Order: sequence, then C-alpha cells, then structure tokens
Amino acid sequence: MEESPLHQFELHNWIPLSIGGLDISINKAVIFMWIIIAVAAILMIMAGSSRKLVPGKLQSLAEMMVEFIRNMILDTMGKDGMRFFPFVATLFLFILFSNYIGLIPGTYTVTSQIVVTAVFSCVVYGLSLVLGFWLHGAKFLGILIPPGTPGWLVPLMIPIEIISQLARPVSLAVRLFANMTAGHVMLVVLFSLTVGGGLLIGWLPFVFTVAIYGLEFGIAFIQAYIFTILTCVYLGDAFHLHGHDEHAH
Amino acid sequence: MPQFESTFFSSLIFWEVISFGILLFVLYKYAFPGILSALEEREKKIKDSLDQAELHRSEAERRLKEYEAKLSAAGKEAEAILAATKERAQRLLEENEQRLTAEAERIKGDATREIEQERRKALQDIRTQTTELALMVAEKVVQRSLTESDQRRFADEALEALSKSHPR
Repeated sequence: MEESPLHQFELHNWIPLSIGGLDISINKAVIFMWIIIAVAAILMIMAGSSRKLVPGKLQSLAEMMVEFIRNMILDTMGKDGMRFFPFVATLFLFILFSNYIGLIPGTYTVTSQIVVTAVFSCVVYGLSLVLGFWLHGAKFLGILIPPGTPGWLVPLMIPIEIISQLARPVSLAVRLFANMTAGHVMLVVLFSLTVGGGLLIGWLPFVFTVAIYGLEFGIAFIQAYIFTILTCVYLGDAFHLHGHDEHAH
Repeated sequence: MPQFESTFFSSLIFWEVISFGILLFVLYKYAFPGILSALEEREKKIKDSLDQAELHRSEAERRLKEYEAKLSAAGKEAEAILAATKERAQRLLEENEQRLTAEAERIKGDATREIEQERRKALQDIRTQTTELALMVAEKVVQRSLTESDQRRFADEALEALSKSHPR
C-alpha cells in the first residue's frame, strides 16, 4: 500500500452545491451523516413502536440505551435535566452510530472530522453557558470560584478556572476527534503492514489489526459515552451551581 | 491532516446541523415517546405488582395473626373447660366419698343398734329362762311349800341381787 494512512480522511466534493455563497457540497462525510441518521432513526422508531411489556431484542436494546442515558441525566442534572433528554440521547446516538458505522471497512467516520466534533462541543458548551446564565443570572459567574476557596486565592483561582472552562469545549472536541482518527490510522497502518509483509511475517500485524479492531469497538462506545456524560456534567454544572449542595435548597 | 482542510468545513457544519436537527426531530417525535412510555409502563406495572404483593403479604400476615389469636383463645377456652371439668369431677368424687362414708356410717350404726337389740333380747331370754330354771329348781327343793307368787318374789329378789352384784 503506497497510500498515506491519512488518505482515508480525505474528502472530495461529489456534488457541488451552494446556497447564498455558502458551500454545502455533498461529500462522503455528508452521505455518511445521512446514513447515520437514517439507521439511527429507523432502528429507534422500530424499537419505539413495538412497546411490548416483555420486550424483544431490539426493544430491549433501545430501552437499555434510553435507560442508560436517563440515568446519566438523573445522576448529573437531576429530574429537571430530563428536559434535555431528547438532545442528549440524540447526541449519544449520533456519535455512537457514527463511530460504529465508521468501523465498517470502506465507510467514513464522521466523528473523525474535527469540525464535526467541534460543532457538537461548542453547542454543548454554549448550551451550558446559556442555561447557567438563564437559571442563575450573573451569579453563574460564581462558577469561576470553587466553593471553599480562601479569599486570598480568588485572584489566582479566577484565571485558572477561566482556562479550565475554556478547555472544556476544546478537550471535548479534540478527545473524540483524536480517538477516532488515531484508531483508524492505527488500523490502516497495521493492515498495510499485513499486506506489505506478505505471508511470512504479515500474520503478525494482522493479529494486531484484529485485536485493535476489537479494541476500537470498545472505544467507539466509550467515546460516545464520554462525550455524552461530559455533556451531562457541563449541563449539570449549569443546573446546580457549585455541585449538589446548591441543589438542596 | 485532511481534517484541517477548511474547504469542507462549511458543508460539514451545515449538513451536520441539518442532519442532527432532523434526527433530533424524528426521534423526539416518533421514537422517544414510545420507548419512554413503554419503560414507564413497565416500571408502573412492576411497581403495581410489588404494591399488590405487599398488600397481599400484609393481608396474609393480618389473617395469620387473627388465626393465631383465635387459636390461642380456643386453647384458653379448652383449658378452662378442662379445669372446670376436673373441678367438677373432683367435687363429684368428694361428694360420693362423703355420701358413701355417711352410708357406711349409717349401716354400721344400724348394725350396732341391731346387735345391741339382739343382745338385749338374748339377755332377756336368758334371764327369763334362768328365772324359770331357778323356779323349777326351787320348786323341787322347797316342794310346794310356797305359793307360786312367793316363789316368783324370792326369785326376783335373788335376780335383783344378782344383777346388782354383776352390772352389765
């Protein structure tokens, strides 16, 4: 294989399109976004329409997922957070299906595009800021001073907390993007070694390819989970300024 | 890295927002209500079943207590009846004993009296016969020197003296 391992992430405009000077050409990633939402929507609607008391496989799986996200929301945001259930669940499903569909050879991993993960993280972080200021007003700025900070540390804590706040959307976006990219790069590198190594030594990288592929299956879920739980945590911070003691009264 | 080629950013952002929006709408409208309501229904069903079971359990417990109370009451009653019966039997026994004792006493008294009577009668007989015998003897001795009334008087006097010297 002569190709660069990054070749897989390259995009080409298949159908040039633009509205109002904005380039919205259809490329491989866009097609896979459509596939993702189609698969996710079809599976979830099928699962949601059966509504049996004793669920079948698909219904169980969908219910497990819904319960999973519901518990995540209840743990971090409390009962009020259920208003964000559709958003959080859709986010989880979009990322999960994107990660998993991307694992099928020949497909495109949408979440390996930094701009895609950045949009999600900016929306999530923006939402948490809006929610925080909407619920607490100017008092939400108190998030920059952790509870129990001695007075003389405040001037130091505020810049540190600003940095940590700004790191939130960046780390959220980069974590998912980097994990997906690195995983796929590693798979391509190992597989090209398999092909290049021939029968004599090629089996060794092939074993690794299979092992890493299995690992990537786990990572695909874990990264979707991490993105979602951090979304919940950030939104939860906006709900309960300074953790759960605020929640009590 | 191809991911940092900004030429595709606009179309990716645009289609991401559109796709996400569509998915959110579709799931919100058609999938989540069904799944959530199925979950809630099941939760409710399980909770109801548990409540029902709890209700049955407490009902069973109440009945058990009731039965136990009844059982112990019946036991007490049986004990009371037994005690009363025992007491009555004891009383009857005592009564019987007393009656029998009295009866025996009475029979004994009767017998004593009868014996006494017989004894007296026998003594009387003996006295009469002795008197007659004495008379016969005296008659033989005196050879009709005395009248019968004299003889009887002497004999009576003799007997008097006899009975005085030998009181019964």
